[in-house]
Amino acid sequence: MKNPLLKRLPRELIGDIGKYLAVFLFMTATIGFVSGFLVADDSMLAAYQESFEKYHIEDGNFTLEKKATDSQIKRLEKEGVQIYENYYVEEDADTDLDGKKDSTVRVYKNRSQIDLVSLMKGELPKKEDEIAIDRMYAENNKIQISDIIKVGKEEKTVTGYVALSDYSALFSNNSDMMFDAVKFGVAIVTDEAFDNLEETHLKYRYSWTYDDPPQGEKAEKERSDDFLEILADYTSVTGYIPRYANQAIHFTGDDMGSDRSMMVVLLYILIAIMAFVFAVTTNNTIVKEAAVIGTLRASGYTRKELLVHYMTLPLLVTVIAAVIGNVLGYTIFKNICAGMYYGSYSLPTYETRWNMDAFVLTTIVPFVIMLLVNLVLISKRLKLTPLKFLRRDLSTSKKQKAVKLPDIRFFDRFRLRIILQNKSSYITLFVGIVFANILLLFGMMMAPLLDHYQEQTVDNMIADYQYILNVPDEIDEDDTYTLYGALSRFLTPSLETENKKAEKFCMESLETVPGKRDSESVTVYGTQQGSHYMKADFPDEGVYISDGYAEKYNIKTGDTIWLKETYGDKTYSFAVKGIYVYPSGLSVFMSMPQFCCVFEKSDTYFNGYFSNEKITDIEEAYIASTITQDDLTKISRQLDVSMGNMFQLINIFAVVLFALLIYLLTKLIIEKNEHSISMVKILGYENDEIVRLYLVSTSWVVAVSVLLSLWIATWTIKVIYVYMMAEFSGWLSLYIEPAIYWKMFLMGMAVYALVALLQFFRISKIPMETALKNIE
Amino acid sequence: MFLEIKDLKKSFGTAENRTEVLKGIDFSVEKGQICVLLGPSGSGKSTLLNIIGGIDQADEGYVSINGEKTADMKEKRLTQYRRRHLGYVFQMYNLIPNLSVRENIEVGAYLSDRPLELDELLKTLGLYEHRNKLPNQLSGGQQQRTAIGRAIIKNPDILLCDEPTGALDYKTSKEILCLIEQINQKYGNTVIMVTHNDAIKNMADRVVKLRDGQIRKNYVNETKIAAADLEW
Repeated sequence: MKNPLLKRLPRELIGDIGKYLAVFLFMTATIGFVSGFLVADDSMLAAYQESFEKYHIEDGNFTLEKKATDSQIKRLEKEGVQIYENYYVEEDADTDLDGKKDSTVRVYKNRSQIDLVSLMKGELPKKEDEIAIDRMYAENNKIQISDIIKVGKEEKTVTGYVALSDYSALFSNNSDMMFDAVKFGVAIVTDEAFDNLEETHLKYRYSWTYDDPPQGEKAEKERSDDFLEILADYTSVTGYIPRYANQAIHFTGDDMGSDRSMMVVLLYILIAIMAFVFAVTTNNTIVKEAAVIGTLRASGYTRKELLVHYMTLPLLVTVIAAVIGNVLGYTIFKNICAGMYYGSYSLPTYETRWNMDAFVLTTIVPFVIMLLVNLVLISKRLKLTPLKFLRRDLSTSKKQKAVKLPDIRFFDRFRLRIILQNKSSYITLFVGIVFANILLLFGMMMAPLLDHYQEQTVDNMIADYQYILNVPDEIDEDDTYTLYGALSRFLTPSLETENKKAEKFCMESLETVPGKRDSESVTVYGTQQGSHYMKADFPDEGVYISDGYAEKYNIKTGDTIWLKETYGDKTYSFAVKGIYVYPSGLSVFMSMPQFCCVFEKSDTYFNGYFSNEKITDIEEAYIASTITQDDLTKISRQLDVSMGNMFQLINIFAVVLFALLIYLLTKLIIEKNEHSISMVKILGYENDEIVRLYLVSTSWVVAVSVLLSLWIATWTIKVIYVYMMAEFSGWLSLYIEPAIYWKMFLMGMAVYALVALLQFFRISKIPMETALKNIE
Repeated sequence: MFLEIKDLKKSFGTAENRTEVLKGIDFSVEKGQICVLLGPSGSGKSTLLNIIGGIDQADEGYVSINGEKTADMKEKRLTQYRRRHLGYVFQMYNLIPNLSVRENIEVGAYLSDRPLELDELLKTLGLYEHRNKLPNQLSGGQQQRTAIGRAIIKNPDILLCDEPTGALDYKTSKEILCLIEQINQKYGNTVIMVTHNDAIKNMADRVVKLRDGQIRKNYVNETKIAAADLEW
C-alpha cells in the first residue's frame, strides 16, 4: 500500500502555493542562470582552448627595434622554435568620420600560418581599401559591415567582423590592468593594403612556436626566459611576451575560470538560504501539526517515515526547479551568458557541449544541500518523543522559564516576546538580508566606484599628455671624443621640444618580484625637482609609491620594496619615503638624479615629456607612445561596458532575494501566530493594533538587520575585493559611495513596507473563528 | 495474562520539585476485555496509558504484553510494537486536516499488513456517507469516529483510548462508547480506556480506579451493562 500521507503533498503544495511558487521560481531562475552560465562557460572555454590548436596560436611574441635579418631568424630557429613575421601597424581610427580620432586600431595582414583569424560575420577583405575589424570593437563603436572608417590617413570599407585568436581580450599593452574593447581594436587588411600603411608606425613583431612545446607553466617560463636571453644577445628587443604571460591570450580563459567558481558558490549559498527557509517553514508546520505527529508516532509511524514526508516537498520543488532550471539553462540562459562573454571578449564561435559537471553542480549538489539542511533541522525537531508532540511541548532545551524581560510598556514587551518566539525565522531572515545586501552592495558600488576611479584618475593625472620616447642608445663614454662619437651625436635625432609646457622625465618599467602573487608591471618615474606637474618633490634617496601600489601590497612609509627588471634578472630595492596619490596604476616616483643613478643613465638622460599641450615638433617615429586620459581611464570604461549589465542583474537578483525572504518569513511569523491573532481579535483589539503588535517587531528586526547587514556587507566586500583585485594587474581603490548606504537602507525598508502591506491584509483576514475552533 | 502491569512507578521533576505520579501500580487485563482506568485529574491515569502505549517510560516496574516487556524494547522495536499491536484514540481527534475521512483512516491502514476492510469499517463507523469529507466538515462525534477508525483499521491487539468522549456531548459520547463496545465485540481487541466519567466504568470488564498515583480499586465488573444503557 502506498503511504496515504503522500496524498497530502499535492494539497500541501496548493495550500501554500505562494511559498512554494516563490521559492520554486527563485530557485529555477538561479539554477537556470548558473546552469546556463556553466554550459556557456564550458562550451566557450572549450572553444577557446581548442582555438590554440585550431587557430595555431603562438607560443609567444617579441618585438624588435628593427627588422630581423634572415640570418638572425635562422640562428634563433636553431633554438628549437619557428619564427613567424607578425608585423602590425598601429593607427588612429576615426570610426564616425567626424575628423577626430576616437580610438586606436592595430592592423595586421591576414594571417595564414600563425594566430589565424576567425571570420564571425561578413567577408575577409579582398581589396586594398577594405578592412575586417574585431567584432567586439565594432559592436562597441557601432560599426556596421559596409561602413567606412578612417584608419590612419586612409578610408576603408568594413567587409566583416573577425576574432583574432591572439586577441581574445583586447589588450593594447600587456601591462595594462584591463583590456579596452572600446578605444582599442584589431583589424586585418590585405597584404597590399598593409604594405601601403604608414611605415613609421610599423612594429616588427615576431611570433614563435616551440618545436617541442614545454609542458606546464613552470617549464614554459624557464624555456621562455632562456629564449629571451638568447634573443637579447642577438638583437635589440623592445617587447617580449611569452604566451603564458600574454594577457590578450590568457585573460579570457583565466576570467572564465574565476567566474565559474564564483557562480557556483553563489548558487550554493542561495540554495542553502532557500533550504533554511524551507526548514524553518517546515518546522513551523511540524509545530502546528504536533498533535497529529504525536498521534501518528504513537500509532507506530516511524520517525523516518515522517521525516521523509516533511522533506518530500522541499526536495521535490528542488528537483523540479533543477530540471526546469537546467532546461532553461541550456536554452535561454546559455545564450544570455554567452552574450555576456561575447560582450567582453573576442571569442570565436562555439558549439554547445553537454556538461556533466554543470549538471552535477546545478542538480545533484543543490539537491544534496537541500537534503542535508532539511535533514539536520527537521530531524532535530522530529527527534522529540511522541508524548512531547502530543503535549505540544516542542522545546528542545530544558529551560522552562520564559526569558525575563525588563519592565517596559506592554506593547514593547509583547513585541520582544514575538522576537524571542521567532528567533529561528529572524536569524534566517538576518542571514538572508546580510547575503542579499552583500550582493546588492557589490552591484550598487561598482558603477560609482568606476566613476570615482575615473574622476580620481583624471584629477590626479600628472599631465594631459605623457610622451614616451624611443631614445637611441647612449654613446659610449669611450667614444665621447672620437669621430664615431661625433658622427653618432650628429646623426642622433633631436628629442628636444620647443613647447614650453613640456617637462622632461624618465621612465622605466620594472616588475614586482614574484612571490605569493605573480609579478606585475610597475612604472618607475624619475621627475624633475620643482616639477610643474608633480605635487611633490621626491627625495634623492628613497622613493614615493602610488597609493594603489601601497594599498594592493599593503606597503607603508618606511617599508622597502623590491622590483626586478622586466627582461632581466637584476633586482632593485627602494626605501619607501611616502605615498603619492596617483590612482592610474602601480608606480614608483623618484627624483631624476636618483633615477639616472639607479638605472645607470647619464645625467642628461630623459625618455619622456609631461605636457598639458600636444607636442608637435617631435617626429612621430621617436614617440613610442602617448599616454592620455583615454589610456588612463580605460579600465573603468571597459569594466563599465563588460560588467555594467551584470551589476544591474546582481542588483535585481539581490532585491528579489531580499523581498522573497522577507515575504516568506513574515508570512511564517503571521501564520505561527494566527491563533493568537484571532484570540486578540476576540478580546477586542483592532486590526491596526494587532499590526502594531505583530508587524512592528518584524519591522524592528528588519531595520536592525538591514543596518547591521550594511556594516557586515562592507567588511565582507573589503575582504572579497582584495582577493578579486589580486587577480588583476594594477589596482582600483575600493570606494563605496556613502549615498549607497542610504539608498540600500531605503530600498530595503521600501521592499519591507510593500511586504508588510501584504501581511497587513493577511492579518485583517484572519477570522475570530480560528481561535474558537482550535481550543485544545 | 495478556496485559500485565507490575509495580509501575513514575515521577516527574527533580529534587524538591519531584512529583510521584505513579506509586507502584499492579494490575492485569485479559485479552478482549474492556478495562476502564478511572480517576480524577492528576491521578496518573493518562501517564499510565502512555506507559502502556510505549510513548512514556516507567522509572520502575514493567508493562508486559503477551509476555513481552516494553521496557526491554529499544526505541525502534517499541515503534514496531506500537505499529503492530496498538491503536490510539485521543480526546482531541488529531486528524490530518487536509486528508478526507477515508484517507485519514488509510493512514492507519498503511501500518498494517492485514488491515480491516475499509468500506465495511466506514459503514460500521457510520461514516460511509461522509468518507470524502475533510475533518473540518464533520461534527466532533464524526471526527472522533474517524479517529477511532484510524486506530482500529489495523486491527490492533490493544485499543488505547485517552478520554475519547472528553470533548463530546452526552449523546455523541454515548454513540462513541457504543462504537468502541461494538468494535471490541466484533474484532476482539482489548480496550484500555482512560476517563474521569464514573458512569463509563459500567461498560467495562475490569475497572481500575486511581487516585494520587495509586490504585484505589481494581475489580472485575460483574454487572457490566451495554454502553447504550449508560446514564450520567
